[in-house]
Amino acid sequence: MKGIGKRVTVAFLSIVALLSVSGVISLFELSNLSYDTEAILSANSRDMEVAKELLSSAHDHSRAMMDVAIFGNEQYRTMCDEALTHLDSNIALVRDKAPLAVQGSLDTLAMYSADLRRLSENYSTTESVVIDSLTVEVHKVDGRGWYVSTYEPAYNRFVDQTKRYINLSHGQLAPRAAQLSKNVYRSVAPVLISLFVMIAIVLMFYYFVYIYGVKPILKINRALSDYLSFKLPFKPKAEMIDEIKELHDNVENLVNISKSNQKQSENAI
Amino acid sequence: MRFNVILRYVGAVMLCLSAFMAVSAGISLVSNDAGFYPLLLSALLTLLLGAFPMIFVSKADSITSKEGFMIVVGSWVLSCVVGMFPYLIWGGEFTLVNAWFESVSGFTTTGASILTDIEALPQGLLFWRSATNWIGGVGVVMFALLILPSLGTNKMALSGIELSSLAKDNYRYRTQMVVKILLTIYIGLTIIATLLLKVSGMRWFDAVNHAMSACATGGFSTKNASVGFYDSPLIEWILIVVMFMSSLHYGLIYSTFTRKANNIFRSEVVRVYVAIIVGATLLIGASLYFSDTYENIFTSLRQSVFQVVSLISTTGFATANTNLWTPFAIVILIILSIICGCAGSTSGGAKVDRVLLYGKVLKARLRGQQHPNAIIRIRLDGILQEDRQVNTVTLFLTTYFVLILLGTLSSALFGMDLLSAFSSSVAFIGNVGKGFGAVGSLDNYAELPSILKIQGSILMLMGRLEIFGFIQFLFIRMWR
Repeated sequence: MKGIGKRVTVAFLSIVALLSVSGVISLFELSNLSYDTEAILSANSRDMEVAKELLSSAHDHSRAMMDVAIFGNEQYRTMCDEALTHLDSNIALVRDKAPLAVQGSLDTLAMYSADLRRLSENYSTTESVVIDSLTVEVHKVDGRGWYVSTYEPAYNRFVDQTKRYINLSHGQLAPRAAQLSKNVYRSVAPVLISLFVMIAIVLMFYYFVYIYGVKPILKINRALSDYLSFKLPFKPKAEMIDEIKELHDNVENLVNISKSNQKQSENAI
Repeated sequence: MRFNVILRYVGAVMLCLSAFMAVSAGISLVSNDAGFYPLLLSALLTLLLGAFPMIFVSKADSITSKEGFMIVVGSWVLSCVVGMFPYLIWGGEFTLVNAWFESVSGFTTTGASILTDIEALPQGLLFWRSATNWIGGVGVVMFALLILPSLGTNKMALSGIELSSLAKDNYRYRTQMVVKILLTIYIGLTIIATLLLKVSGMRWFDAVNHAMSACATGGFSTKNASVGFYDSPLIEWILIVVMFMSSLHYGLIYSTFTRKANNIFRSEVVRVYVAIIVGATLLIGASLYFSDTYENIFTSLRQSVFQVVSLISTTGFATANTNLWTPFAIVILIILSIICGCAGSTSGGAKVDRVLLYGKVLKARLRGQQHPNAIIRIRLDGILQEDRQVNTVTLFLTTYFVLILLGTLSSALFGMDLLSAFSSSVAFIGNVGKGFGAVGSLDNYAELPSILKIQGSILMLMGRLEIFGFIQFLFIRMWR
């Protein structure tokens, strides 16, 4: 490559290119990181919200069933149905976005929810007892006993499974969070390494500009001053290339012309 | 000393490395793995580092030996620095110290790794690991000499520094010819090894990587279980031949193929080298058979010959857990890790030439005591060895052992057991890569404290630069 101007321009453009490339890669990695962080946070908050809703619905259902079975308030049946609908819709909602690893846990949860629905729908405050072929007696069911022995175990199973689901779901987030910390490293590493390389390049740039640009000019200037002041021979000691070399040659020619003119005028005198 | 000239030639080496990184990035792109961006960015950064001095500094007409020396050592150190870029950007198990260790281990053809799961690495990075072995095998500067015509007449000065004096003895050619011989044999051997490994059942990717690693006597494998993964006698025999060939003087291999007088069959060093291999194989094979380590004598000999050639050639491939072998076998293998291959080959270590010369010096001294007035001349492969050469070899071997002892002492200070500390120091300075105990043939260096990893990498560089090369670099200012 010829020409100091070209060399400096190419060098400068190299630094710009280096900065741009590392910047683009870091931006790409950072946007990935931001996307991942957002995904993890939203998954976490969705899980928390749904778990809260599931527990709340189950609790509502239990309260309503207690009113129906123990206190015989049939008007709470509607509340039971609403709680179950809410429960099922929440399970369906979480199932859509859940990873494969927690689908099994959700299936169990849906099965326990179905158990609650079955118990709820089949429960009746009275039962018919056949005495003989002509007599059927209608008895009142022991609601308290049914609630404690039949309903409550099913309810507890559902609540325990919901808690297990929450733990499992959180467990699924841990590797993603670990991966996230790796991604942070990956987005920072290119910048740090580019910075290291850029420092090396800038130092080289300074060195080359000094030895091929600044130093020769200083030497030419000093040699010219020495010639003008003390008539010392014009011999600057520096490595010169391109236009600086031309400058040196031109100044040397000028000095030679000046010397010959001086000789001529001395001879003329 | 002209730093601008040094920077230009080191830059040329960087351009070579950049090209290899670009090829590795291409492999990552084709296999669609996560190594593409790290390798591409590293290639660009290395390209810039290499091209920058080229922009400013014109080709020098000549270079002094001091400048040549700085170019060689600077190229090695800087290659190791840029070699860790892909690892660092990729992340995973590569912390700063781990990446430096892996890079130095690759370029010095040591083959010691910090990776606990090699197979988890993207294919591009696996190729880059093997490429560092391959480039380092022939010497980073020699590699630049081989492929960069711009280095022109300065080839002689640079190759003279890169090759040890013992290695040069068997090259009875001009420098240009030496460089061509190296290129021909190195690439030829790699291609032949690749084809043979492919035919014997390896995938193309694994065949290329193992061939590169074997020819460089590096030892980086693409499998966690190294060559043992394949459990194939055919693959093992092919690698035994390739490792053995790679640990012979390349000049002698060339002479053998061109039917010159100074060939492998007439070389005294090669004869001794083969005798050591055969003797060690038989002793270890017998030891393994009689200790019931293997069920029959054939398996014992097969395992024995593979491990013997792998360690003496400083490759470090493994087919068995040598920690389970008899103490007798382990001691012999450690001795082989100290002796190592022939000068002028890709193997590291003390070199069998030096050990043989040392033996001759001892013999000459004994004869000198018996016959005080006798003039005893020492010859190696028919070449008369001057006193200076003999003294250098003696000093080299002494320093070599002192460094091993210092390495052992330092490792023991950080809690390593004696066997692991000693064998790891031998493995580092000899560029063997595999030791015994905690750093056995199927283990890795991941658990080593960072300070020992740095110490190990310095020993590897010292071993590769024939010790004095590295020490001289530290005292370059005093060099007149």
